[in-house]
Amino acid sequence: MIRPGLARVVGASMEPTLHEGDLLLVLWGARARVGSLAIVRLPRDAHGMPRPVSVKRVTGTDPADPDRWWIEGDNPGVGVDSWLVGSLPRSAVLARVVLRIPCRRASFT
Amino acid sequence: MRLRDIFQITEVSAHCDLPCGVYDPAQARIEAESVKMIIQKANESDDPDFRARAIVIKEERSELVKHHLWVLWTDYFKPPHFDKYPQLHVLVNEATKLAGASGTKGTFDEGKADELLAKIAEIDKIFWETKQG
Repeated sequence: MIRPGLARVVGASMEPTLHEGDLLLVLWGARARVGSLAIVRLPRDAHGMPRPVSVKRVTGTDPADPDRWWIEGDNPGVGVDSWLVGSLPRSAVLARVVLRIPCRRASFT
Repeated sequence: MRLRDIFQITEVSAHCDLPCGVYDPAQARIEAESVKMIIQKANESDDPDFRARAIVIKEERSELVKHHLWVLWTDYFKPPHFDKYPQLHVLVNEATKLAGASGTKGTFDEGKADELLAKIAEIDKIFWETKQG
């Protein structure tokens, strides 16, 4: 089921598109679209620790498997994205970002 | 759909990495400089106890050099970097060997420490070029 929700950005890996504290209107359960931003669940790190739910840009599908999404951060040079963890299954894309709500507040943490 | 689903705000991470995402070849260089200094001091000493301690510490520091280089290799550098600098894999391999059993970990050869520092300097140069790109 697709339902709307709000998400708050923490961190700088999506700059200059998104900044710390930005508020996003998202559609939980909506299918990703190439070029759009998505809320994704990244695989666990090398120590088996879960990574937080993240916002990334969907830049395409995996050439080897069209059912998997290739995701990247907008801030080049750094970041955990598909260059590091490979493509993600559809189930790892939790929501599509619809728009950034034009108000900014400090994050909760 | 419930209103609280909309008004509940989920935090989404745009962090560069976990746990901190801070990388710098200086970590490997400083450990390698320690290794070089330990080798110099051990070679100038006739004290067997001091030399025994030097062996232990030199092994620990050499292992840290390898660790820091591998962190850069596996966590920082990405396929676009390896495309642009095809020598990077070999460089990291050679550097970690120089910090290993055939290098500073297993010998008191100051020349090996100098070779290690030179390799780290090459990796450092590439690292900072990727930061500017």
